[in-house]
Amino acid sequence: MAILEALASRQLLVVTGKGGVGKTVVAAALGSLLADLGRRVLLVELDPRENLHQVFDVPPSGGEVVRITPRLSLQNLQPRYVIEDLVRQHLHVELITRRVMASPIFEHFVEGAPGLKELAILSEAERVVKAKGRGRSAHAPFDVVVLDAPATGHGVSLLAAPHLVAEVIERGPIGAEAHELSAFVADPRRTGIVVVTLAEEMPAQETLELREALEEQVGRTPELLVINALYPPFPDVEAETSATDAFLLDLWRTRREVNEREVRHLGNAWHGPRFELRMLPADRGPRLLAGLRQQLLDQQGLAA
Amino acid sequence: MNFRGDDHPLVLVVGSGGVGKTTLAASLGLMSARYGNDTLVMTFDPSLRLKDTLGVGEHARDREVRVSAGTSGVLAASLLDAKQTFDRLVRRHAPDEQAAHRILTNRFYEHLAGNLGGILEYMAVERLFEVAAEGRYDRVVLDTPPTRQALDFLDAPSRIMGFLDSGALKVALRQWFDEKGRLKPTAHLGVLGRGVESFLDRMVGMDLLREMAEFFQAFGPLFAGFRERAERVQALLRSPETTFVLVTGPGEERVPETMFFARHLKERGYHLGPLVVNMVHPRASTELMVRPDLGAGARLLSWLGERDHRGLAAFYRLLEPRQLLVDVPLLAREPTDLPSLEALGQLLSDKLEAPAESVPATGGRL
Repeated sequence: MAILEALASRQLLVVTGKGGVGKTVVAAALGSLLADLGRRVLLVELDPRENLHQVFDVPPSGGEVVRITPRLSLQNLQPRYVIEDLVRQHLHVELITRRVMASPIFEHFVEGAPGLKELAILSEAERVVKAKGRGRSAHAPFDVVVLDAPATGHGVSLLAAPHLVAEVIERGPIGAEAHELSAFVADPRRTGIVVVTLAEEMPAQETLELREALEEQVGRTPELLVINALYPPFPDVEAETSATDAFLLDLWRTRREVNEREVRHLGNAWHGPRFELRMLPADRGPRLLAGLRQQLLDQQGLAA
Repeated sequence: MNFRGDDHPLVLVVGSGGVGKTTLAASLGLMSARYGNDTLVMTFDPSLRLKDTLGVGEHARDREVRVSAGTSGVLAASLLDAKQTFDRLVRRHAPDEQAAHRILTNRFYEHLAGNLGGILEYMAVERLFEVAAEGRYDRVVLDTPPTRQALDFLDAPSRIMGFLDSGALKVALRQWFDEKGRLKPTAHLGVLGRGVESFLDRMVGMDLLREMAEFFQAFGPLFAGFRERAERVQALLRSPETTFVLVTGPGEERVPETMFFARHLKERGYHLGPLVVNMVHPRASTELMVRPDLGAGARLLSWLGERDHRGLAAFYRLLEPRQLLVDVPLLAREPTDLPSLEALGQLLSDKLEAPAESVPATGGRL
């Protein structure tokens, strides 16, 4: 089965990788392709400085769900609001809720309690794909959440949080939630992990370390590796070249050599499916998105 | 600004992910040691990239490692390990061996210290304080986690102080439980009243609360020292001697977040040193663009050069007139060994000392 169809059967896709490798745009391209396959997709961005909307040229989310197409939406999700919502649901009485939230103790609890924010994010992701009850009203609003996750180390923290919290909090709704989410992220049929990297020495090394950390701390192997922003193959150069251009051509040739070497390095250590995406002359926006989507579609064979 | 003298004893390298902070921090550290200053390069990066760059292995987690680079000053590197720093702190400040043991074996502590987001930033503050207090180096160059976390890092001391002042601690330190492990009626629970026990039991279970209470009880004596240290670290970070080197990538996409960070630093009273725009693609000639033998790659290369210079122009337009900007070209090879780090350090150092391209007087303001 082609990898995109395999990913489409998941309920949560966590897209992670080192900072600056193009996670957001890759997450957007994957999400929009899953929507084309008939899934109702919610793209979730966690960075409070919003970027995701630029990819689709739609207004920023500001915390709300923004519909891009009938089957594709995006949302900027801040854990704080999810936590406040949870408190509201559990406390019922508005006056008490307001007093709790205004208290500095609550503030420090939200900011400081380890794992709480991570749990809140995953909990919200699971909520929007989980059918409630039976019959026609049982439909969840979305089939898949594609999560533009934090950079490497913090991405592992996100996925490891339910298990860690579940070990400490064994009972009660928070304990139960942690247990449920721990099973959710551990289940490869429900949660998929996509790692995005550049074919450069340090990002490639870090990608292999990330895989190890995920195996150790979450018991999961990522489903897909996306190697992003490759320089194009270096051509046979015939014409005479000025000094500046010579520098540029050397840069291109060397960077491409590094790319090829690191793609081999990653390929030797990583036997799962992978995509290799060329760098494109376009800023973050619909044109870049279209280019990446096309490459992902073209490479379904390579990824099989 | 330069690294020859012994001014700027603390240099923080800050910026978003993937802009080359770690490499630049290592280069600056190397140059500093080359000029005869005993220098420590510290990284708080959980992915431990400095390890690759400086060839220091896992052992750099518990102590500083001497880097043999043939420099006249000592060059050392260390990796922050949140759990180990936390453990060390507990051992040092607990009133006795037994109390330390009680904390270190508390289930709450064991699971949560060092494992999850947030702790790392608190511990970074502690570690920084330790190093500053020891005073064994002329200069400490600090590589920080990406922007969001770097802000967390800067806010950590005030968050600790806020926590200590909020009353949360007083609540946590109250004698909550009687000898039988039941909530004491004297544990005044405010507006939530008597229903709170069953509410808390429903939410997280009483066992956990008991362990948390135990943890805070055992931890109590440590908090006093925390406050004083947090205040001193705060002062250290805001000292005019402490310089922030803000690193960013080229390209217009990077401009808003970089300007945000620069403003944020100034507003909070930190001292912003140079802005380093790293990995700038050189501009291609117009002939290159139309050369038939280069295919589509030529268009990409020209586009990258133009994109990066549009970004640079935007920075010049937006920065304060006296703000120093240093652009570093994208190098054909990523500097990963000592000679290439040194070459990068030399380039930086030259540009910092002779800023031919500092912002022209006509530049706008923030």
